[in-house]
Amino acid sequence: MDYIDVIRKLARSTYYQNIYSAAKDVGSIQLFENKNNYSGLQSLFLYWLKIYDLLYTEISSKEWKYLDEDVINDDCRCDAFLYWRGQQKEAELDKHKQEQKVSNLKFKNSGQVSMFDIDLRGGK
Amino acid sequence: MENKEQILSESIKSLELNNYEVGIVQNNKLIFIVDDKNYRVRMPIQSEQAFIDHKRNLAQLDYLNQEGCITRKQLITKLKDVGILDIEKIEARKEELTKELKQMWFALATKSSSEKNRIEEYKEKINKIQDELKNIAIEVGTQLAPSLESRLEKFIVEYTAFLCTDVQSEGKWVRVWETIEDFNKADSPLTERAAASITWLLLNKRS
Repeated sequence: MDYIDVIRKLARSTYYQNIYSAAKDVGSIQLFENKNNYSGLQSLFLYWLKIYDLLYTEISSKEWKYLDEDVINDDCRCDAFLYWRGQQKEAELDKHKQEQKVSNLKFKNSGQVSMFDIDLRGGK
Repeated sequence: MENKEQILSESIKSLELNNYEVGIVQNNKLIFIVDDKNYRVRMPIQSEQAFIDHKRNLAQLDYLNQEGCITRKQLITKLKDVGILDIEKIEARKEELTKELKQMWFALATKSSSEKNRIEEYKEKINKIQDELKNIAIEVGTQLAPSLESRLEKFIVEYTAFLCTDVQSEGKWVRVWETIEDFNKADSPLTERAAASITWLLLNKRS
């Protein structure tokens, strides 16, 4: 048995997704019997709960053309989507950084005002 | 998500049926069955962990005094010199495969669910790459098993399995082995299963 498959199946189940959502709002709801000293598997489970929560939210907001419940339910497709999504986010961030750079250049001397003599009549 | 209530009740039912699986995350205990008996492995408590660390240190001193003790770094050099395994080449192949895997992921991610044939085609290619990566990891692991570091990792897993494996007897959970000698003498399917389960339980514990 591959425990990671089981953990991902549990994490994306409606049951645990609902508990996770409720636990975020109501502090007294506990996911595990132990309150601390989480095992590696529990940490992994928490990681996947968060990932699937994010993906379900993005399905609702129709953020990505290729994301649907079939993707979430197929580990291989889900891994591929998460990789691709990461690349898109990175590209977006790079683009944003470039734009910031350009806009910083434009407004580098924003405090200074120059005056020009302009002939508005246009005649000789 | 449609018919939320129906899905919720179905998922609760499925979780109840797969009771053992839920234990993975709920209470840090992993249940398994060998020869119709219920066994479980659990996380070591703090005092047990301190004891395991102490035993590990003693084992390290013991191994260092043994003939043929070799560190991972020394073994890697030796394996290359005698032409058995070139870790550098293997690392390069791993990098190549990882690059291919990312390309396949990219292609698969941009397919709609309706493109079933293409999806299957890419999934097959991905599985093939992942299998090769797994085989490389197994080969490296096997070749490096005699190293001091690998022997100590194995020691920790086996010692934790010895301390933290319980058997269900008359409704109660009791320790399976009294001494490490009992563990070493025990049936291998049980000790192997306990060690494998403990490995999963300890996975990424310190990360």
